[in-house]
This record gives sequence, structure tokens and C-alpha cells, in this order.
Amino acid sequence: MLNYTIRRLNLLFFTLLVLSVVSFSLAFLFPGDSLTNLSGVKSPTPIQLASLQESYKVDSNYFWQYIAYLRLLLDGDWGISFTSQQPLLDDLSTTLPATVELSTYAFTLAILIGVPCGIIAGLKHHKIFDFSILSASLLGYSVPVFWLALILIQLFSLQLSLLPLSGRISLYFDVPIQSGFIIYDIFQAENIDKTAALRDVFFHLILPTLSIAIMTGTIIIRIVRRSVLNVLEQDYIKAAYGRGQTNAQVFWKHGLRNSLLPVLPLIVTQFTTLLTNAMIVEVIFSWPGIGNWLIQAIYQRDYPAIRGGMLMVSSLVIMFTISLDILIRVIDPTKGRKIRVAV
Amino acid sequence: MALLDVKNLTLEIDTANGWINVLDKVSFSINNKEIRALVGESGSGKSLVVKAIVGALPERWRIKADRMMWQGEDLLNMRQDKRRKITREQIAVVYQNPATSLDPSATLGDQIMEAVSSKLLSRGWFWQKQQQREKIAITHLHKVGIRDHKTCMDSYPHQLSDDVCQKFMIALALVSQPKLLIADDPTMAMVPSTKIQILKLFKHLNQTRGLSILFVSHDLLSIFSMADSLTVLYCGQTVETGKMDKILKRPLHPYTQALLDSAPSFSKGLERKTDLPTLEGTIPPLQHLPIGCRLGPRCPRAQKDCVKTPEERRIHEHFYRCHFPIHRPTK
Repeated sequence: MLNYTIRRLNLLFFTLLVLSVVSFSLAFLFPGDSLTNLSGVKSPTPIQLASLQESYKVDSNYFWQYIAYLRLLLDGDWGISFTSQQPLLDDLSTTLPATVELSTYAFTLAILIGVPCGIIAGLKHHKIFDFSILSASLLGYSVPVFWLALILIQLFSLQLSLLPLSGRISLYFDVPIQSGFIIYDIFQAENIDKTAALRDVFFHLILPTLSIAIMTGTIIIRIVRRSVLNVLEQDYIKAAYGRGQTNAQVFWKHGLRNSLLPVLPLIVTQFTTLLTNAMIVEVIFSWPGIGNWLIQAIYQRDYPAIRGGMLMVSSLVIMFTISLDILIRVIDPTKGRKIRVAV
Repeated sequence: MALLDVKNLTLEIDTANGWINVLDKVSFSINNKEIRALVGESGSGKSLVVKAIVGALPERWRIKADRMMWQGEDLLNMRQDKRRKITREQIAVVYQNPATSLDPSATLGDQIMEAVSSKLLSRGWFWQKQQQREKIAITHLHKVGIRDHKTCMDSYPHQLSDDVCQKFMIALALVSQPKLLIADDPTMAMVPSTKIQILKLFKHLNQTRGLSILFVSHDLLSIFSMADSLTVLYCGQTVETGKMDKILKRPLHPYTQALLDSAPSFSKGLERKTDLPTLEGTIPPLQHLPIGCRLGPRCPRAQKDCVKTPEERRIHEHFYRCHFPIHRPTK
């Protein structure tokens, strides 16, 4: 177990290192002066320029420049944005929580839909219920996310006027940003009607969450269904039937755990797809998240922002995946390789 | 009355070449307190017979039988929950492959405690019942020769070696105190000394508790040492059934004869370094099963009539399916 954790952390370290190399090289690959791209200061005064050249070690070779860059990254100085002239890390710390919040809800929803539906479809194999879930899921993951989001807006916001069109919360509510997680911020805020604000946030969440969750949910349905079918064919399930256990006993005691354990890693990998979809959907719903922010940065050729955003998103994905890998390893007993010989 | 009476059990499975009878009119019966051996080569359908009895076959396979009676009750036409109740309380199976027949994600302790029938527990609160279950489980683990019950019960199947798992399967089968034990190659992965222990345990349970055993194996020596009666299976057909001593003394079917000859301990006067007598050819693959008597192409006594499936004939308690039996005058 310790061995495994160390191996995973080792992987994490080197991947992050490679990512930082890539982000560093971006500054040289983008058009314009590399120092400007790194620092984000467009027209520095001579004094500023001197101090920037000093801190980025422009005079030494690439390797020492990279080391200097790494040191600045770790110090929290990621440069400033061309457009907002704010430190990048400040921008990221307000936009990233919005995205994390949205994708967490969507992922939870996807699992809540996907796992039970997949299990039922697996148990009712080749019956009408199975076929209807399968066709629904085929439809679900064939529909492009951005198109689905537009259709949902068209239907629920414009035609039926049930749900708000865009944003995280109505402008009536003045919620000061503290953590960036809107629900936490509402509880921290003063002088607002908290229940009304929460209701409003909830209504704003419905459409973007749905449009992201549907695709991932349908994929999870298929993964889980396949795994349930696979497990039901195993010898130990037949043996449990042979021991005279009822269908319910066999499923709850032997079927469920064995079919969910192998799909956990597969479901985790879906998080990456989900995050990408979330970034697209953010643009459509004007969600103040990192996807929206990054695409604005690309439109405006805000090179430091592109570099910082890319580094932030990819590190987030990798840390998330690796920590879940370790978690799965902890809860999955079949993964332990400890052999006991003498009994 | 027989404990288990199977007559003309036929199992059809769906393959790429259409439906194939993998079991073709298998008949045998097990009396109370009897040890019956079911012998056959690998691939002769022994394990399928076992699975058909307890209903652990895929649902799309077709299973038919003239009768499959458990103490006078028809197993095939009864309600599923009733059948499960019978298999839970009165029949126990030791499966052939311990590694795949145990739940990989549950500890062995959980699995054996779950199999302890609540009938065996005296009244008490549920935590007391849990302790009683554990106690019963531990006694049975000791019985099959697992001394370190704690390690065993805390382990997952993949952490233990195959022979420990196999012993555990036997304990798991015995813990529900069945009337009939179906042991499918129970001593496969074991070293000879443990094998003898297990066989002794079976024999002992048979004598003291009146446990009937269907002993499925191809290990002729252990079969001859303990079984009362014998059923020989070839390619899904029962070729001969009868009392052990009768069959040993005078086998009627050429296949039984060949089987006995192939075991060195039974062929007398075998010169050193001579080949063991064997039948020509190999057991046919599923998609090329011969019509009629399936031994036909390999049988030294085969004649034209053998393309018709021979009917079951009997001499007292000795059944055989052959047109031209050994030791019998042909018509």
C-alpha cells in the first residue's frame, strides 16, 4: 500500500514537472517577447524591466530560466493577465471554484443517475427496461454538449421561462466573493435573504448541471451495465445460487460490490471528459468559471492567462485522478497482493 | 426411496453450430447414506451434471429430464424459491474451481458465516447469533484441516493458496449440515496426505451422520477406496451404472473396461515400461459429437448398429447402454 502510494506520488510529481516545462516553453512559442509572455507586464518602465529580468534570470541559459520560473510559480507569482492587469493567481482563485463547484454537482448527479440505472439495466438484461435505458443512453451520449445546452436554454428559459438563462445568481443578491464557492459565500454574506439566494442559486444550477451530467451519466450507465452483466456470469454468483441463496441475497451480498469495484477507475476517468464539457458549457451559460475565463483569454490573446489557466486545469485534473486512484486502492480489497501461504 | 433420482437428464447448450446436447440422457440415483462416484474424462460433462442438479446453469441453456426428484419432489417443476430452499438446507456443493467459485471481494469469514443455517442456532439476540455462527464456522474449518482459522477467515480468496481455498470450499459445503454432499473434484489441488484426510473425513461423515455423497472425480484410486456405487460418464452419456464391486469384477461396457485398464493398479501382470492400454483417439470436441453411441468411433467392439443410441438395459442393479457388451452373449 505504502509502496503504491509512493509510486503514485512519484508519478504526480513528474507529471507536474512536465506540465511546468510545457507551460514554460509556451512563453517562448507564443508570439512576442518571452519575458512579456511570462510576466504579463506589457510595457514595463525601465526599473520594472530591470527587476523582471532579475527575477526571471533572462541573462542565463534556458535551464536556469526554467528554475527561476519554477521558483516563482511555487512562490505564487504566476505573472499578471494582459487584459485585467490582475495577478493570474487571483483571477484563477475566483474562477476555478466556480468550475469545480459546477463539475462536482454534475459528476455527483451523473453517478446518481448512472449507477442505479446501469444496475437495473444489467439485472433486467435483454428485457424492455434494459432496451429503453440503453436507447436513452445512446441518445444521451450522441448529443453534443453545447447543442444540448442551447436546446435546454431554448426550451426551459426562453419558451417556458421556468429557469434563468445564465450566470450563477441573480444580480439582486450582492454576494461578496470569499471562497469562490457560491453556497459557502452565501452563508458568509451579510444583509441578504439567504433562503431566497440559495433558491436562486439552485435554479441557476439546474440547466448547466443537467447539460453536463447527461453525457457522463449515460456513459456511466453503459459501463455499470456491462460490469453487472459480466459479474452475473461469474462462477461465484452461480455458486451462490447453488448454495440456495435468493436473488436478492446474491445480488446485495455478492453481485453489487463485485460489479462496482472494477468500474470505479473507469468512472473516475470520465471526470476529465466532464471537466472539458463543463468548460464549454460555462461559455454558453456565462458561468464565471475557468473555462469561460480561458476562452476569453484565447480571444484576447492573453498569453500569460492561457499559460496559467492551462497549468492550473491540468494540475487539478492530475491531482484529482491520482488521489482517487489511491482512494480506490484503499477500498478495493481485491487489489491487495499480500499472499498468505501458511494456514 | 432414493434421495436423488435423475432419469434421462438432457442439457442443450447454444453454440455457433446450433443447439448441442452436452448431456444426453444421463441417469443415476443416489440412495440415502450412499457414496456414489461419478467418473469420466475431463470434458465428459461431470461438472455440468453437478450444476444442473443445483440449478447453477445459465438461464438460456435448455434442461430437460424425465424426472429429477429430490426425495419424491420434482426439482425441475417446482417454484424457484422452494428449490432454492432445498438446495440451501439439504444439498451442498463443493465446486471444482475454488479460485473462481468464491466471491473475490468478501473475506472467507463473511462467506462461511453467511452459509450457516439459522436453524442450527439456538435462540438469542442477534449478536449472540453472530458468535454462534462464528463458532460453528470455526469448528468446520478445523474439521477440514485448516488450523489457523483466524488468518483464513480474515483473508480474501486471492490471498490464500488453491488447496486452502479448496478445503475452505469443503468447510463451506459442510457447514449447512446437508443431507447430500456433491463434491466436484474436491481433492484436485491437494497434496496426497491432505487428500487422504479429506477422503477420510467424507467417509467418516458418511458413516456417522449418514451423509450421502456424490463424488465427482477422475481419480480412480480415491473413488475405489470409498465409493459404494459408480456411474461412468462418457461425452455426456451415462455408459454404465451399478454397484462398485460388480462393475470392478465384471464391467459390461467397453468404455468402463478401458477406464479400468488405464489405471495401473488394476491391470494385473503389467510388464515394466510397457504402455498403458488406452483407447485409440481422443474425446471428440462438442461440435463433432458422433451420432448414436458417442464412444462409437473409438470403441474396439463397435459394429454397424452402434449408430443408433443404445437403450438402457439392466441386470439387477446394474445398468448399461451398449449394443455389444463385454461378458454377455450377443444376440
